[in-house]
Amino acid sequence: MPLPALITDHSTENLIMSNDHANPIPAYMRVFYALCIFTILTVAAAKMLHFPESWGTPGDILHVSIGIVIAVIKVISVMYIFMHLKFDHPMLRFFVYVPVFLFFVMSFTLNFLEKWHYIR
Amino acid sequence: MSAALNLSHEPVTKVFHGKVAMWAFLASELMFFSGFFGTFIVLRNTNYATFGEGSAHLSWPLALVNTFILIGSSLTMALCIYNLEKHNVKLFRLFMGLTIMGGFGFLIVKYIEYSAKWHDGLFPGQEHHTIFFSFYFLMTGFHALHVVGGMIPMAFMFFKSYTKKGYPYPAKVETLGLYWHFVDLMWIFIFPALYLMIPYAAAGAHH
Repeated sequence: MPLPALITDHSTENLIMSNDHANPIPAYMRVFYALCIFTILTVAAAKMLHFPESWGTPGDILHVSIGIVIAVIKVISVMYIFMHLKFDHPMLRFFVYVPVFLFFVMSFTLNFLEKWHYIR
Repeated sequence: MSAALNLSHEPVTKVFHGKVAMWAFLASELMFFSGFFGTFIVLRNTNYATFGEGSAHLSWPLALVNTFILIGSSLTMALCIYNLEKHNVKLFRLFMGLTIMGGFGFLIVKYIEYSAKWHDGLFPGQEHHTIFFSFYFLMTGFHALHVVGGMIPMAFMFFKSYTKKGYPYPAKVETLGLYWHFVDLMWIFIFPALYLMIPYAAAGAHH
């Protein structure tokens, strides 16, 4: 019965590499610029966007939500392009989406539900 | 006749096994940080004044510098992987070196921040310590440890590339790259949560 000749082969021959597609550098640069712009937007939204004091807790919810939405856009950009999810196997994408989705759901629900009794 | 069995990747999807393992690890890391974020949100919503005062005490311009450093190092890491896959060793070294320097830059800024907190008596056990600063040190401290944890294998790969054999494993560098981008992703959340989102009720006094 034939035995495997090599069971610890670390060669990457036959391996699908994430950069096998066309030149990714323009996409990397676009994501980099987008991340810089969204970072400035995050600071601007936090420091310059003032809701009336009378809005109280709903104003805070809106304030935090804007920050979370911008962060989510940045995270998706990094995961899709820098972390190559756009080009990876669909199985891997599903594997990643579940914990990331749960994390976002947790952030949003905690932020809203915890404040619910202050709003009423 | 014996057939070579390549265990470095899954035979059908051809995804590098190390990469799948790294994604599994990162998923568990995300859950680890979720505990911090979840508790942070709950406590923030019931301690507006304490969290407002604490957040206003932090230096957001220094954190902004660190954000740009991490974004830059994410870009250099992506370029580093691309160049190794194209067998361009010189550019691989250049971008790997820049990524390591980015990590050092981040830690230097973090040291400056922590020093200021030490002088202001905000460390655990010191006079002006509050629960906000427990979260601040916990979240930024663990994040900084992750930065160090990424820099060690990066330094190994960088110096190994100067040896006669070089470092001909782009799949491993790509796997490490996933980790480094994750460190950047966590900072994307930590930065606004700690430094920018001053509770609205307390904002009037600090804006």
